[in-house]
Amino acid sequence: MQISTNIWTWVAVILTFGIFSFLWKDNPFYKFCEHLFVGVSVGYTIALTWYNSVYPDLITPLFRQGQLLYIIPFALGLCYFCRFIPKVSWFIRIPMGFVLGWASGVAIPAYFQTNIIKQIQGTILTPSIFARWDVFLWALISFIGVICSVLYFFFSREHKGALKLASETGIVFLMIGFGASFGYTVMARMSLLIGRFQFLLRDWLGVIR
Amino acid sequence: MNLFEKLLKIDRKIIFIVMAVLVLFPLLKPLGLGVSSGPRAKAAFDAVDAIPPGKTLLISVDFDPASMPELYPMLVALMRHAFARNVKVLLCGLWITGAGLADKAITEIPPEYGKTYGEDVVYLGWKAGVDAVILGMGENIKNVFPVDYYGHPLDSLKMMQEVTRLKDIPFMVAISAGTPGFSDWLLYAQSRYGMRVGAGVTAVSAADAYPYLQSGQLTGLLAGMKGAAEYEVLLQRKNYSKAYMPAVAAMDSQSLAHIVIMVLVIIGNLAFFATRRKRR
Amino acid sequence: MRRTLPLAICLGMGIVMMCQFFIPHPISVSFYDLTTKWIRIVSAFALVLGVGSLILYHIDRLQRKRTGWAYSIVTLAALLITALIGLAWGVKPGSPLQEVLFKNILVPLNASMFAILAFYMASAAYRAFRARTKEAALLLIAAFVVMIGMVPVGAAIWGKLPELAEWVLSVPNMAAKRAILFGVALGAIATSLKVILGIERGWLGGGKG
Repeated sequence: MQISTNIWTWVAVILTFGIFSFLWKDNPFYKFCEHLFVGVSVGYTIALTWYNSVYPDLITPLFRQGQLLYIIPFALGLCYFCRFIPKVSWFIRIPMGFVLGWASGVAIPAYFQTNIIKQIQGTILTPSIFARWDVFLWALISFIGVICSVLYFFFSREHKGALKLASETGIVFLMIGFGASFGYTVMARMSLLIGRFQFLLRDWLGVIR
Repeated sequence: MNLFEKLLKIDRKIIFIVMAVLVLFPLLKPLGLGVSSGPRAKAAFDAVDAIPPGKTLLISVDFDPASMPELYPMLVALMRHAFARNVKVLLCGLWITGAGLADKAITEIPPEYGKTYGEDVVYLGWKAGVDAVILGMGENIKNVFPVDYYGHPLDSLKMMQEVTRLKDIPFMVAISAGTPGFSDWLLYAQSRYGMRVGAGVTAVSAADAYPYLQSGQLTGLLAGMKGAAEYEVLLQRKNYSKAYMPAVAAMDSQSLAHIVIMVLVIIGNLAFFATRRKRR
Repeated sequence: MRRTLPLAICLGMGIVMMCQFFIPHPISVSFYDLTTKWIRIVSAFALVLGVGSLILYHIDRLQRKRTGWAYSIVTLAALLITALIGLAWGVKPGSPLQEVLFKNILVPLNASMFAILAFYMASAAYRAFRARTKEAALLLIAAFVVMIGMVPVGAAIWGKLPELAEWVLSVPNMAAKRAILFGVALGAIATSLKVILGIERGWLGGGKG
């Protein structure tokens, strides 16, 4: 065992235990760590946004290279500050309209292409599935599963008769899907805990390599 | 109160302690359960393996410190794989708190393979505006990142003379902890520029990636810490790396943790049904 | 004017960007390049809203001495100090922001916050996860198969377990998730269209005008 003598490792360890102390009960140490986290992460975001986005993308071309067209996005960006001045707070709608319109317009063909057309192409049964019996069977089950699961979400008609059968089949697939997600979620959460323990055992106590 | 009623009323701190002990134990005394690779990790590995030497692998570092245990080993393994095959690595990121993590990997990995920053690896950094960043890179990377993360103009970096836009990159892996992530790369980079995309994701979003795998939109998937472990094992098998494998080392704890959860669920259900029957 | 102008900007940008996807003409591509640059700049300014709201909330909490007001000092001090250190000394590797604040404060706090979820997951699984219905039982079985099949101990118990888990993920889970993806994609497209056409106006906010 080789306990770390680095003061910053000890700071990290103390903060880790501060968060873990919540497992016992809510306490002032945990609350301090929580509020410290919020403050540091927002401060970090401010600094990085300035140096990585605002300075190279706006300040340099507009004020150092004299590219006057950048006045437009600069003015749009400044409109965000109007949020805090009641008389002109409506100005914030202008950059929001610009960004929302741009993003929505760009997203529509992208969503159609990626999440509708390509997914339909993946669902439809093609002659290649007849190559092997298991490929055929799984493709058929997937096809039925997608159709029935989609029909489960069709609420414009009452679920009776054939629609009810399809809907109930869809529920089976959806439950298996949610179960699979839960199984993976357990893996994810455990991994994060294992990572923290690895830090404590390796970087702090030095009992594992 | 019988045993089952006592079990239902057990203090959750006892569950926490049991959990902690059973996760810690295999880290101190490994159980020696081997890790084998699955088809999804193999597909990602083969895709990176197929990149011709001298070409570039783009890795998007879209995660924060919270997801480091799952995703950082993937980043490191991918970089090792690329460098072992003399493939150049271009890194960028869509998560602001991931900026420092990519830098950590750049400090540690290239020297192992004698690789030089600017010639074999470049880190572009983080930029605001997810979809605008991806779309901008599709047209001209220098328009989006005039300088790299360290302040070097992209024109001064030898590697960036040959890589000017996304079409110059044969394959990319988006290592993502959520949104923005691989789905944004599929939405914007693949739909508009035909980019080939692989994904490394936290286990939470792994199940959601399967429709993209089946339709061929995603080439390969590394799912959580297990996916990272599978990639590490493949690297070792092909002698691309002999380095310590942190994800593999954690798999024994992962196995035990899963068994604990399953046992807890089974005991909880048995106790519940037993007390319900007694009440009837 | 206060609502019409932003709506008009949103409509214009939305339609233009939707059509731009299909128009490879150089003028179209130049416009696309230009707006992409502007959006990155305007998006960076959006940080102002989040940071401003956070600061105002904590200042208000301090002034009114609401419960836990002392922790607001922690948040505001951490925010100010981190931002000032980052802006003054830069954000490059080796800077105090990265070496001290990011590595030894932000990383352990962020990682620990998520690591404790593993404990709550175990507790919740024990206390709340009940197979009361057939659907819940199906969910549980799928979760167990994925949980045990996706870790090395699964292969040690039964060699075919990893294959079974992979089948659950690739066939029924895939079908269910695809159905959900269709719904989400159609919803996103519908919402984007509503935003562009001004039917969805929640983003304009309330107030006069």
